[in-house]
Amino acid sequence: MTWFTLANCLTVSLLLVLIGAFGLLRRRSLILVLLSVEIILNGVNLAFIAFNYFRWGSEEAGHYLYMLSIGVAAVEAAVGLSMVIVLFRNYRDITRERIARLGEVEG
Amino acid sequence: MPLSLADFLFAVAAAAVVLLSLSVVLARSPVRSTLLLILSFVPVSLIYILLRAPFVGILQILVYAGAILMLFTFVIMMINPEPGVGEVPGEAGKPGQSRRGGFLVFLLLTGVGFVLIPPVRWAASHLPVATVDKPGFGGLNSLSRFIFADPADNPLTVSFELISFLILVGIIASINFSRREKPAAASPRKPGEN
Repeated sequence: MTWFTLANCLTVSLLLVLIGAFGLLRRRSLILVLLSVEIILNGVNLAFIAFNYFRWGSEEAGHYLYMLSIGVAAVEAAVGLSMVIVLFRNYRDITRERIARLGEVEG
Repeated sequence: MPLSLADFLFAVAAAAVVLLSLSVVLARSPVRSTLLLILSFVPVSLIYILLRAPFVGILQILVYAGAILMLFTFVIMMINPEPGVGEVPGEAGKPGQSRRGGFLVFLLLTGVGFVLIPPVRWAASHLPVATVDKPGFGGLNSLSRFIFADPADNPLTVSFELISFLILVGIIASINFSRREKPAAASPRKPGEN
């Protein structure tokens, strides 16, 4: 009986994805939604590294996928945050409810 | 088999990651959420080091916590949202409805967890375990040899360099978003004019 197993690593990874999905569905601020996406990506990265260690001990394919993933995460954060800044500059409001009414005339 | 030091470190780090991520999602103020997320990357990095990925663990701190999350912190400080206003689920707008929605989402995700986690654990515990047999596995030397060795017919080299194009597109998009002045409108053509 050991704790440091592939099953436990994948459980932590799945829990991170579920926590991130909860934040994605529940938080109203767009910044918090982007942070929840980072939590989900973090869980996926953990699964990559865990599979690489427990299943493919001869080469670092999972580490390579991790690097691709943080490249994507960096670009996503940069573009998403610049969109948040533009929305804040135009509407002074970055909640999801305001974004759902984009393009409508202010009542 | 007795529990080793790696087991205890993994258990502590895994519990810390899950608790810190939960507090990120539940925290009231966005600044606190971001700082808690940065904090939660430290035990993740510890798990990576336990999984013999020391370079990835360093990248997690340097790039993720140091660059990407600092970007979030800067943006939050720039637009300075008031803490608590409309942040806590169930306290804005229609309280009862919002709280019921939160409970439904929680119920849905708990159900998904109960459906998904046991088969994943069962499958993972029945897979044969391959042991790491490469000297210097996960180190910078071994990793760069894996990605950049023999670049003429190594597809990983090309796809790794293609990330730079992705980042370039991201930079152009961000600059385009943040331009203040409107681009000069094209002069409308009059009908009948060539």
